[in-house]
Amino acid sequence: MKSIMSFVAVFLLFTIQATAQKEIPNVEVKNLDGTSLNMNQITQEKGVKILSFWATWCVPCINELDAINEVYEDWQDETNVELIAIATDDSRTKKRIKPLINGKGWEYKILLDDNQDLQRALNITTIPHVIVIKDGEIVFRHTGYFPGAENQLYDVVKKNSK
Amino acid sequence: MKKLIYLSLALVCTVGFAQNPDEEDKKDWGRLTGGFESIVQWYNDDTSLGKFAEEEHVRSNNYLKLDYNYGNWFAGMQIESYAPMPLLNYSPKLDDSGVALYYAMYRSKKLEVTVGHFYEQYGSGLILRAWENRPLGINNAFRGARVKFDPSNSVSLSAMYGRQRDGFDVSNGDIYGFNSEFDLSKLLKLESSTVSAGFSYVGRKEDIPEEFQNGEFDELTNSFSARLDYSGESFYSGIEYIVKDKDIIVNSQRFIENFVENGSALLLNFGYFKQGLGIDATFRRLENMNFFSEREAAGNVFNENIVNYLPGLTKQHDYLLTNIYVYQAQAAITVPDPSLLKYGEIGGQIDVFYNFEKGTPIGGKYGTKVAVNAAYWAGLKGDFNFTDRDANIDYFGFGQKYFSEFSLEVRKKWSRKWQSIFYYVNQYYNQRFITDQRGVVNSNIGVVESTYRINSKQSVRAELQHLWTQDDNGSWAGATLEFNVTPRLSFYVNDIYNYGNDVEDEQIHFYNAGGSYARGATRFAINYGRQRGGLICVGGVCRFVPQSTGLTVNITTAF
Repeated sequence: MKSIMSFVAVFLLFTIQATAQKEIPNVEVKNLDGTSLNMNQITQEKGVKILSFWATWCVPCINELDAINEVYEDWQDETNVELIAIATDDSRTKKRIKPLINGKGWEYKILLDDNQDLQRALNITTIPHVIVIKDGEIVFRHTGYFPGAENQLYDVVKKNSK
Repeated sequence: MKKLIYLSLALVCTVGFAQNPDEEDKKDWGRLTGGFESIVQWYNDDTSLGKFAEEEHVRSNNYLKLDYNYGNWFAGMQIESYAPMPLLNYSPKLDDSGVALYYAMYRSKKLEVTVGHFYEQYGSGLILRAWENRPLGINNAFRGARVKFDPSNSVSLSAMYGRQRDGFDVSNGDIYGFNSEFDLSKLLKLESSTVSAGFSYVGRKEDIPEEFQNGEFDELTNSFSARLDYSGESFYSGIEYIVKDKDIIVNSQRFIENFVENGSALLLNFGYFKQGLGIDATFRRLENMNFFSEREAAGNVFNENIVNYLPGLTKQHDYLLTNIYVYQAQAAITVPDPSLLKYGEIGGQIDVFYNFEKGTPIGGKYGTKVAVNAAYWAGLKGDFNFTDRDANIDYFGFGQKYFSEFSLEVRKKWSRKWQSIFYYVNQYYNQRFITDQRGVVNSNIGVVESTYRINSKQSVRAELQHLWTQDDNGSWAGATLEFNVTPRLSFYVNDIYNYGNDVEDEQIHFYNAGGSYARGATRFAINYGRQRGGLICVGGVCRFVPQSTGLTVNITTAF
């Protein structure tokens, strides 16, 4: 019991002391064609981007990406935002990514994080998890997806793209 | 006492390195980031399941991860506390608190050097994968050293030595690894497609007990992998082949005298895609491919000391009743009795994804999305001699059927407010060969899920599930109701009911109710209910959990 208390104490101190993580760690991920890419190639670009961590087996993740896909053209026209869907599928399900995104007609840029190095570096324990970055800096994070969350996400995008 | 020291250390770090916006301009102290996760379970006695017979009704798993970065330098650690005991069916080796992982790393454009713990994967992981999965209790990180070197954009090399994490200690086997990846696209002057190749070596060295030192196998077991991948504009394919040196067969943590075999793996993959359509086909054959950093760990129930990654290549389902009969890869040689001889597995799966476009008769106003999966797995075909431990195996032959599955998923949006998912699964599950229980289970599962958006923030989701079978424990029915108050706050109730069980006392409701609140990188969830005993599987790797009733509180955050 004592050590639980110590953990809680440490945890509380952290939330008070530390400000939120601002940067995306420069971890190596893969493009769909298997070539490598470092995250700073993405964070060095200007503008607002949504990083969405998902997997082919995660139903709420797919619900979220499907929901955004329907309005994605409008979002891009209005704010120039880019959504990068980072698949955390490991080798069990990774081969399903290409057929799935084509079957769904998603227009997103897709990256692979197949041993979850980036996910771990960002301390993401559950997916779906979205991160909004502006000029490479994290401005918003959210775990989980319920219908309507895409509207909230778009409000954040609009606010940051002015 | 030890853990108090670690915790104070963590505190000093926080105070010392935490970013203070005012000081940011003056001096760069580097960055401290981290994550915290806590799962607390309170198990109580249950009239249907019986008294909670284990020690400690309240248990918790806690993970605090800290990473520090200054320029090209990185360091970090993970503190874990399982207090007063780990959650049900986590390894007893975890019953402690302290620093579980630590590392220091230097990274420049071409070179990366790590000392301490690290995760790793070569190719698809068939030859080597070190990873963490907390719900499964897996953390097989290596403790040792690793050097990665990229001499050019198209070549990357990496070499490592380490011992695998085992509880709060490391296992007895030494692991040596080398990996290389080559991007051949430029060499072949390809513009719209890529070709890449990879070669890996993994060696495991562990002392052999004296009574088995007869020269039939070595302390050092070598394995080699070669891979070739092609990715074009609408077609892709890949091949991976692995050989593993001869090594003694271990069943139920015991060496089987004079039974020494090689191992091999073959993985083939093809895919075709265009806008609105995607097809993928995978074939895999595994023969004696289980690989542990300690020989005697073979087949251990806590997923400890696993060197490579052998997922069951079937569709990963996301509904309660579709996850009762889960196939797990049968890679090992096991010969418990003459009627149950297993040398490996052979099989494959096909996926098709199709989008009926908006405006077509089936597509309707919003389009209709369809996904189909078919999987078939069997044992290797051959003549097995139980007394001589001898096998004559037909390489591409299909033997005893282990598992087959067909699933169809249809996603349909009816209007701005309504959308549904229909899911149908037909399964054949050979319990005798997969889980060493009796019989075969033939089942059909149907799921209907609908979501109604009340307004731009609130929604209701309902799920109805049914599993039909005459076998094993009979049929099940299930339902879920979820109310999303805001995109951050949600409540749910669900129940699965084994009404078809022949034993009346075992016709049990496994009900659960709970809620979650998420804000930023923090999520808080609370749940009360009854957990079905059985396999909990993520990524084709499973952990057995006993049934239990209780309250679970889960907090995760990142900072």
